[in-house]
Amino acid sequence: MATVTNWIDHLNKPADQVAGAVYPGAGSSEGLLVILAIILWVGWHVLTSRSESDELERLARKRHGANDHKSNITDW
Amino acid sequence: MTDQLAALTTIFTEFYYWVTVVLMFLIHVGFCMYEVGASRYKHHQHTLMKNTMLIPLVTVTWFLFGWWIYWAFPTGPGLAPSIMNESSALITDDSAFSSKFYVATSQLMAVNLGDHISGVFWAAFLLFSWTAASIVSGAIIERITTFAFGILAIAIGSVFWVIDAAWGWHFDGWMLKLLGYHDAYASGVIHAIAGGFALGVLMVLGPRIGKFSSSGEPRNIGPRNPWLVTIGLFLIYTGFWGFYAACNIPIFDLGPEYGMEGISYWTATNIYVTPTTLSGITFNFLMSLSGGLLAGYWIAKGDPFWTYSSGLAGIICASAGNDLYHPIQAMIIGMIGVVISYKLHYWVERKFKIDDAVGAVAVHGYAGFIGLVICGFVLNGYPASGYSVGAMWDGTTYASINPLGQFLGALIMFVVLGLIPGYVIAKVLHGMGKLRIPREVEIAGLDYEIMETAKSDEKAVASATR
Repeated sequence: MATVTNWIDHLNKPADQVAGAVYPGAGSSEGLLVILAIILWVGWHVLTSRSESDELERLARKRHGANDHKSNITDW
Repeated sequence: MTDQLAALTTIFTEFYYWVTVVLMFLIHVGFCMYEVGASRYKHHQHTLMKNTMLIPLVTVTWFLFGWWIYWAFPTGPGLAPSIMNESSALITDDSAFSSKFYVATSQLMAVNLGDHISGVFWAAFLLFSWTAASIVSGAIIERITTFAFGILAIAIGSVFWVIDAAWGWHFDGWMLKLLGYHDAYASGVIHAIAGGFALGVLMVLGPRIGKFSSSGEPRNIGPRNPWLVTIGLFLIYTGFWGFYAACNIPIFDLGPEYGMEGISYWTATNIYVTPTTLSGITFNFLMSLSGGLLAGYWIAKGDPFWTYSSGLAGIICASAGNDLYHPIQAMIIGMIGVVISYKLHYWVERKFKIDDAVGAVAVHGYAGFIGLVICGFVLNGYPASGYSVGAMWDGTTYASINPLGQFLGALIMFVVLGLIPGYVIAKVLHGMGKLRIPREVEIAGLDYEIMETAKSDEKAVASATR
């Protein structure tokens, strides 16, 4: 995965080869990383949307009044 | 880099944008404080988290496709040819500044020893995106679901404002060429569009419970913590300095850029690559802030919420032309924008029952729109670009700044790319039953369970003996 294994050797290369990407997997892994990011991003939306809906439904069923929260104000 | 002067210029530019990003982060801190201060106790935590989570949501999408849109869409597509490749299609070829360099899989979108600018420039624009989404966030507090807000934040932050930036802010944008559009510090490109988008969402979302009486009279739901609102707005002012700096290119040789043989002219430029100075825009930033505060204090009869917001509105209104205005022009324009925005806010509230919880539509949308229109008159005749000056509708050259072009530009920003998409997306989310929280939850408070748990924790700790 390492793109650079020796900085002295790397900086001694011709200028066009020195100036370039140096992250692990440069030139071979970008597509895979983007797909992974998309999966994580979509997955996050699905999971959090479900949990938010559950939370809102649960709270709605309890039918608290507009001032009920005042008895829950903490004073540590 | 092997040449020291080139290295200094490059690394200065890299550091310059990096600093603007850090400063602009304060805008988001300010928006978070402001919204929490404006919301009621029982909604605080959800209000804060909603605005916080737009950071990752917009950032990831900005990386995946937002930045690409900016470089691909200056031509419309199909409206005016690019000066880079003379084509009206999306710019995806091998020409300089093509979007192909900014797809998520590009090696320039990462640590690259050959590119010191892409990351910091990407981040500066990303912070603009957060701002656009945050403007919408404040207007809709206490009744929208976090899921819906996330989708709306991505839409405004990574799609619609970027399209308008490609059209009206990019040096190759079709609005500069056809309309002579000028918006140096984003009266329209950020503020009018975000305000219009927020208004579109509010039209579907509806008011908070209790905002209007049964006879339709609006009730004031004032900020719960005015001091948090105050500090939040001061932080937004502070971040705005970074915003202004980020809209400039700090050092550029315009001679070769404009094709002038043998002439070298080093200067800072605005986003359109025409000369300005940080010094000059500092005059105008402070004078327009002052104009806004003066007018806001007067019109709102000393109300702190509106006075602080008016300072911001003053800057926003003058921003379109603050690269060229005289400071006193900037101050007067800021004053005019504030008075009209304030009056319009209450008229729209009464007439259409729009509950804009923090006045975001007025401060950003109306002030931005008015600022664009005024700019068309005050800067009438200035070139919209340094490259080549032509007539309106020409398309191959750049039109001069003019009132009609600015008015049409303001409509494109506020209505076409702001209000309509906001309304349509909110309608879709509403149709899915995902837009608004249940009525019972709104009454009880989004934070009810969190507060209940905290109270039990407090009781448990208070009764503990060891």
